[in-house]
Amino acid sequence: MAVEAVTYMDPAGLKAIGAGLAVGLTGLASGIAERDIGSAAIGAMAENESLFGKGLILTVIPETIVIFGLVVALLIS
Amino acid sequence: MGLLQKFTRKSSPKQSGSGSNYAYVTARVRAMKSNLLPRETYPRLMNMGIDEITRFIEESQYKQDVDELARTYDGVDLFEHALNRNLAVTFTKLINISEGELNYLISEYLRKYDIWSIKTILRGKYCGASVEEINDSIVSAGQLSYPFLSSLSEKESYESIIDALSGTDYYPTLKEYDGTNLSDIENQLDKMYYTGLSTTVDNPKSNDSKLFSKFIRTEIDIKNLSTLFRLKNAGVEKDEIADLILEGGLHLSIKEIEKLLPLPFSEFVQSLEKYPYWEDISGIVRTEMDSLVELETQLTKSNIKSASSFSHVYPLSIVPIMDYVLSKTNEVHNLRIILRGKAADLDEEIIRNQLVI
Repeated sequence: MAVEAVTYMDPAGLKAIGAGLAVGLTGLASGIAERDIGSAAIGAMAENESLFGKGLILTVIPETIVIFGLVVALLIS
Repeated sequence: MGLLQKFTRKSSPKQSGSGSNYAYVTARVRAMKSNLLPRETYPRLMNMGIDEITRFIEESQYKQDVDELARTYDGVDLFEHALNRNLAVTFTKLINISEGELNYLISEYLRKYDIWSIKTILRGKYCGASVEEINDSIVSAGQLSYPFLSSLSEKESYESIIDALSGTDYYPTLKEYDGTNLSDIENQLDKMYYTGLSTTVDNPKSNDSKLFSKFIRTEIDIKNLSTLFRLKNAGVEKDEIADLILEGGLHLSIKEIEKLLPLPFSEFVQSLEKYPYWEDISGIVRTEMDSLVELETQLTKSNIKSASSFSHVYPLSIVPIMDYVLSKTNEVHNLRIILRGKAADLDEEIIRNQLVI
């Protein structure tokens, strides 16, 4: 009688991978989104320094994406 | 960083839109545009005396240019030079801050100023102007730098000037110059500029080249229209007009212009009704016109207006930058008209008619 080798995947490991993906991919996404906004903000600030506050706020708005990712990662694990 | 920019520029001047830093340049240009004088300023300037206007300009964005040139010049000349200098600095900045295809398109467009400067130098030599006088009229807003252009104006003869330009695209046209046919050469240089621009965007692939091409072709249409109006009104023969017409218009192709050429002025005006520009000029054109100032102002105005409305449709493209270039040039023109007009004691009404607000 042949014995089949059964491999188990630890659910905790899969959860960790999921959590990692959630944070990693959203991090990349917000990075891509912030690239253009950031360079635009720097451009505007170079001409008019008073735009610093607005530029900073607009630049970090895509940061919400990675925060959602972090929340999802925390919920999974 | 600068080295990196130079490298990317040299290695791929025609690369697709991905190499361009649109977000940075358009945001910066919009901030620069917000520094331009608002339209309400012009009526205020019209009511001021020349002293008040000079004080106003000294306190505006032209302050630095006025301060730096104040040692050498005074009066209205000072402001004229300050305005020219500011224009050159601003446009060179546009070339310096852009990358990739955007940089290529802006530099091609600003070649206008290279041609302007070469024409100024040749014309200056033609009428025997002094080196200082020629240097004062140079606007080095294009690819040729001010030191290079002023070294040209220091040369004794036109032959040595043309020899010094032998490495440039202008050489084949310039070498036809024999000391007498200056106006021909000037026309050819202008034609060369627009042909060059049309071939740059001949088969536009990226979305941006398409927009740029549309912008350029509208400009060619407007140039052709004002040439047609001027020459038709002066009763110039059609063969002579045909020589001065630029190719590559958006709505007025060369074939359509050829149809318009033999018509008398009144019929010519009527046949313009089918073109989109009619909407802007219909209130002004008559079958008999004494002065074309109002018409030309209106055409420029409609060009600026369409560029500005397009810049909202395509916010991350070349259009906001071209819009800024037009508005900035226009501001400098307007200020110069007001200053020179006031200095020459012109009637307020005449100055007002010349302004494009």
